[in-house]
Amino acid sequence: MTRQMHILVIDDEPQILRALRTILTAKGFRISTASRGEEGLALAAVEEPDLIILDLSLPDIDGFQVCRELRQWTRTPIIVLSVRESERDKVTALDLGADDYLTKPFGIEELLARIRVAMRHAGGAAHASASSVIQAGPFRIDITAHQVMRGDEEIKLTATEYNLLVYLASNAGRVLTHRAILEQVWGPADIDHVEYLRVYIRQLRQKIEKDPNQPRYLVNEPGIGYRFIPEG
Amino acid sequence: MSYPTTLTRKPTWITRLPPYLYSLLFTAVTVAALVLARPYLTAPVAALLLLIPVSLSAAAWGLGPSILAGLLAFIALNYFFISPLYTLTVHQAQDLLALLVFLGVAALISQLVGRMRDSLALAEQREHESRRLYEMSGQLGQRKDEGQILQYLADYTQETTLADQVETLVTQSSNGKPLLVSTPPIRPHPIDAQPDLVISLLGTQYLLGEMRLWRERKSFSETEMRLLQTYASLAAVTLERARLAQESTRAQILEESDRLKSALLSSVSHELRTPLATIKAAITSLSSGTVPWESDARSELVAVIDEEADQLNRLVGNLLNMSRIEAGALQLQRQWTAISDCLAAALRRSQTASRDHPIQIDLPDDLPLAWVDDVLIEQVFSNLISNSGKYSPPGTPIEIHAASQGGGLVVTVINRGPHVAEPDLGRIFEKFQRLTAADRVTGTGLGLSICKGIVEAHGGTIWAENLPDGFAFHFTLSTSPLSEQPVEISG
Repeated sequence: MTRQMHILVIDDEPQILRALRTILTAKGFRISTASRGEEGLALAAVEEPDLIILDLSLPDIDGFQVCRELRQWTRTPIIVLSVRESERDKVTALDLGADDYLTKPFGIEELLARIRVAMRHAGGAAHASASSVIQAGPFRIDITAHQVMRGDEEIKLTATEYNLLVYLASNAGRVLTHRAILEQVWGPADIDHVEYLRVYIRQLRQKIEKDPNQPRYLVNEPGIGYRFIPEG
Repeated sequence: MSYPTTLTRKPTWITRLPPYLYSLLFTAVTVAALVLARPYLTAPVAALLLLIPVSLSAAAWGLGPSILAGLLAFIALNYFFISPLYTLTVHQAQDLLALLVFLGVAALISQLVGRMRDSLALAEQREHESRRLYEMSGQLGQRKDEGQILQYLADYTQETTLADQVETLVTQSSNGKPLLVSTPPIRPHPIDAQPDLVISLLGTQYLLGEMRLWRERKSFSETEMRLLQTYASLAAVTLERARLAQESTRAQILEESDRLKSALLSSVSHELRTPLATIKAAITSLSSGTVPWESDARSELVAVIDEEADQLNRLVGNLLNMSRIEAGALQLQRQWTAISDCLAAALRRSQTASRDHPIQIDLPDDLPLAWVDDVLIEQVFSNLISNSGKYSPPGTPIEIHAASQGGGLVVTVINRGPHVAEPDLGRIFEKFQRLTAADRVTGTGLGLSICKGIVEAHGGTIWAENLPDGFAFHFTLSTSPLSEQPVEISG
């Protein structure tokens, strides 16, 4: 690592801050913490962190507001922390521009994986977005040739299935909301037609999954959306 | 004798007239008959016979008509039978005496018979009133609800008094708000018209409310007032009794919910402490340095901590869901959902169950989408799989099927667990029920009741069944919201 990655954690629970600071520092990150929304926004502006971990329930302004204000001036990746029972909050935060979410309680490996994915996409957006080949796990998608290969075997996809796979695979590891996928693949007029997405996900799974009923690559996040997991 | 359905109204002069006419006619006919039979009659006999219309008038029509009959009979006796005939003059002193005695006797008969008749009428009236009261108390006794009691009182009062409108009101009903009932429901009189009569509903301890009457004929007779007072006190007593009954029901419900709460508390504190105890023991042993750094014991302890933390998390989630279901605060975010998605997510969460049991999934490729809240249905799968994993022997399979049926889906989760006695099959979905092998199994006893709450909130049903070689849960889900159907599209 050429430069030490800087992470800002905004959470009002002192024990969570303490644990994250300890663990992430041990993992080689530089950590700043804030326990209030305003304080978090100020720190983000002053310190320009590489990534922000944001809890949705804060004592002063809520996490959505923090997310909204951050997105007005920075594309720094945001990972939202929330409890399990509030799926709609997570969707709202993701639609406001958060990059990913993590449900409390979480394992640290999960957090590190989310951080890696978010960092990679932030870097990817800056540098190699024009790449004509997407390599996601065993799949190789050639954008110019419109071709999907698993090893030496070509997978025949319809146009919509292909667009869906390209969008998911180019965001590998990251959760995409139903709304985001529908908007990207079908267009803004169809953002409420979750049934299209369900039908195509099923078709796509039948072509790329070994057992479509226990998918490894195209994973459903109930109430939120889908995530493409390249490692399977 | 038939009883009038209404209290006797004060008769007007028109209604009073016929008895006098009848009495007059009756007397005239008797006099005519006697005049015809005069050759065979002496004056004393005629006088005796003339007492017949007087006494019968008194019996049939009361005092007034009988006095009229007496006067007529007196004049007829004087005119037709006392000499000089065809004049109203009397010459002999004894005849005058006879006439006066006749008049006195006629008056006395009228008095006596009339009074008897009046007291008979009064007795009948009283009997009638007490019948009504009896009927009313019987009817009121069958009513347990304050609104129904007020309604009955208003209806009954309106019917008996022929009032234009009757309102009954309790100032503070059992829910703390005033309750007003009116017959007829819509006011025929202007909103601000003062009632013609107000009677309080007085309970044993305090004023419960009042009854208001509007009637075109404003005055109420003494009898009516007496009856209305009795109605009001009967209704007040019934209202009080209904209240007491309600309070005791409420007390029972509270007691029941207290019992549930303490069951929950004891279950929860046990279930919370078990994983906490395990975690504490494992952590202290790791930090004390008694366990070598690189050893199987160490990784075993770490795995235990991880699993127990997940267990705690599940427990808290179940408690939260349960309280939401109980409070009726479960808000469904329905959308078109593939059952296979919910199931896959549930399997990722129930890793303990899927590690110990092979999972066999049989979902038809053309299974329609379900119109459900996918987060909650995932929870149902998760609880059913976790329950199946806990109760069936390790290594035995858990099977999951779904099929479309009618306008919906039937989902089945089958395990090789022990049977539940048939009468208890419905009870396993109640809270804190553990009907088999309780000592072996951990959990709050909330999982299945949460499933039931979620499925029923979706308008579906859930039930369990003993199979020859295992145990099955079934639940139904809707595939048709009100209007829209999932679009069949192909790429």
